Amino acid sequence: MPRGQKSKLRAREKRRQAREESWDPLDAQATVSEEEEESSSSPSLDVKDDPQSSPASGTPSGPQVLGEVHSTTASAEAASSTRFTEGASDQLEETLNALHANDIAEYWYRGPLDEKVVMLVHYLLYKYQKKEPITKVDMLRNVIQVYKHNFHEIFKRASEHLELVFGLDMKEMDPNRNTYVLINKLELSCDSREHRGVPKTGVLMTILGVIFMKGNCATEEDVWKVLNMMGLHDGRNHFIFGDPKKLITEDLVKDDYLVYRQVPDRDPPCYEFLWGPRAYSETTKMKVLEFVAKVNHTSPSAFSPYYEEALRDEKERAQARSTARAQIAAVASARSKAMANSLSLPK
Amino acid sequence: MQGSSRRTGTMTDVHRRFLQLLMTHGVLEEWEVKRLQKHCYKVHDCNAPVEKLEDFIHNINSVLESLYIEIKKGVTEDDGRPIYALVNLATTAISKMASDFAENELDLFRKALELIIDSETGFASSTNILNVVDQLKGKKMRKKEAEQVLQKFVQNKWLIEKEGEFTLHTRAILEMEQHIRETYPDAVKICNICHGLLIQGQSCETCGIRMHLPCVAKYFQSNSEPRCPNCNDYWPHEIPEVFDPEKERGAGLSKPSRKSLRPRQH
Repeated sequence: MPRGQKSKLRAREKRRQAREESWDPLDAQATVSEEEEESSSSPSLDVKDDPQSSPASGTPSGPQVLGEVHSTTASAEAASSTRFTEGASDQLEETLNALHANDIAEYWYRGPLDEKVVMLVHYLLYKYQKKEPITKVDMLRNVIQVYKHNFHEIFKRASEHLELVFGLDMKEMDPNRNTYVLINKLELSCDSREHRGVPKTGVLMTILGVIFMKGNCATEEDVWKVLNMMGLHDGRNHFIFGDPKKLITEDLVKDDYLVYRQVPDRDPPCYEFLWGPRAYSETTKMKVLEFVAKVNHTSPSAFSPYYEEALRDEKERAQARSTARAQIAAVASARSKAMANSLSLPK
Repeated sequence: MQGSSRRTGTMTDVHRRFLQLLMTHGVLEEWEVKRLQKHCYKVHDCNAPVEKLEDFIHNINSVLESLYIEIKKGVTEDDGRPIYALVNLATTAISKMASDFAENELDLFRKALELIIDSETGFASSTNILNVVDQLKGKKMRKKEAEQVLQKFVQNKWLIEKEGEFTLHTRAILEMEQHIRETYPDAVKICNICHGLLIQGQSCETCGIRMHLPCVAKYFQSNSEPRCPNCNDYWPHEIPEVFDPEKERGAGLSKPSRKSLRPRQH
């Protein structure tokens, strides 16, 4: 149930008081950023009139921000040595002074959301580095908290930042459990320009390609043959990937992209690779084939019979998706029928 | 975003890849950063000319600004090597580590940090840190466990260990400088030359002002009679050499095992 205006104002006052007691650089700095964002975006509108004027209008204010002005000036000064140029901090001072006079409350509502977007971006980057999947529950509990009604907007904006700035794509891993994973968009889509005939990126896609084209199971020897061509050798540290053996037999396995297992009844023991469950969920045979085709300057249809197999796989996935949708729709309609029935029952 | 796109260059896949890789490493020396930059160009835009590193990073930073993240350049306190770290500006310092460590581990770091700041040399001995282990918040930690936690800090580049003593890694200084200055305003030491936070350095025996070793090196470069900039008394310590990246490369590909001057000269 959305809160009324009065209770929002009361909550705002409480937060302002709490903030004054325990000054938190995050809050203060975020307010500074709102002002900075507003003050830096308005000139683009007013540039004809007076490029030097500090925009007094359109800046966020309201009782809470007024209470924080005192602390934001302090943080603005502290920050000025690292972040602001001289001109900008003068502009900021003027803006802060103007706030005392202004009372445009509506802009304030954007303020805390900006803060949450930034926090969510940091949180998601942390999860990406840890290579842990992200659940909606975690995001709500750790970051979004009271703004749970704005989850969708905050999440969308954070995802946009991650895509534009870091080249990371937010993909839904499990729609039933609201689990997401950040995928390195660059790895899959970058144009593999050849250097001495060998692409250096897309290690995982390459390995998946090898596995697929060896009948969905490739020996370790097969994989190393291809990796050697890319400049990755067993026992030799690569300055980006580090230890390639650890990468392919431990890291990618731990992340469920690959399965690495011993071939039974072989002496000396030897190992083979298969696609891991996460590879199946995050990419498809066709996408991998497209990658391999691109690297070899040809098209997927040149790789019969793998092309046919990839086509079949695409068809099966499409069928699975439409079955799932039908099931969800059936469950939803059953539920709404049940609700309608229970509501119409006489008391 | 309106404001930032007005001031910045465009963010291309070259920049994105660079950011991703820098983020993975956490902190890199300048020569590694340059190599990384070249690699990103080669992979994503091999025909474009490699932009000057300073401008390249400035462009990325203008986009990162509204996210409270910054690529910060710093200098190692012991031998003046330039390093770069991707730094999170918005969080209160300890909380950046908060996701990686448990409550008692964070408190151990806090205690170690305080001992380091209060020390004369910028180093806190392992013994002194371990002695406060029973005062830690959170789950009870044994000394043996604390030793391992300290090693974890070293591995994650928050602390540096030298001969059983610990000081702050340059990355921690870059990330936490503001927090440290605000939290311990009376205890922190400041360099007289660059006015930055000082953990290790040299100090004047007469008037007590302090300077970073690389700041000393630059200030007294080719000065045969170094004198304190504050009280003009003779500067009693050995003047280190200014860091020269060319010399480093000439010495071979491996990192030079130059003995860094111990700043025990207070």
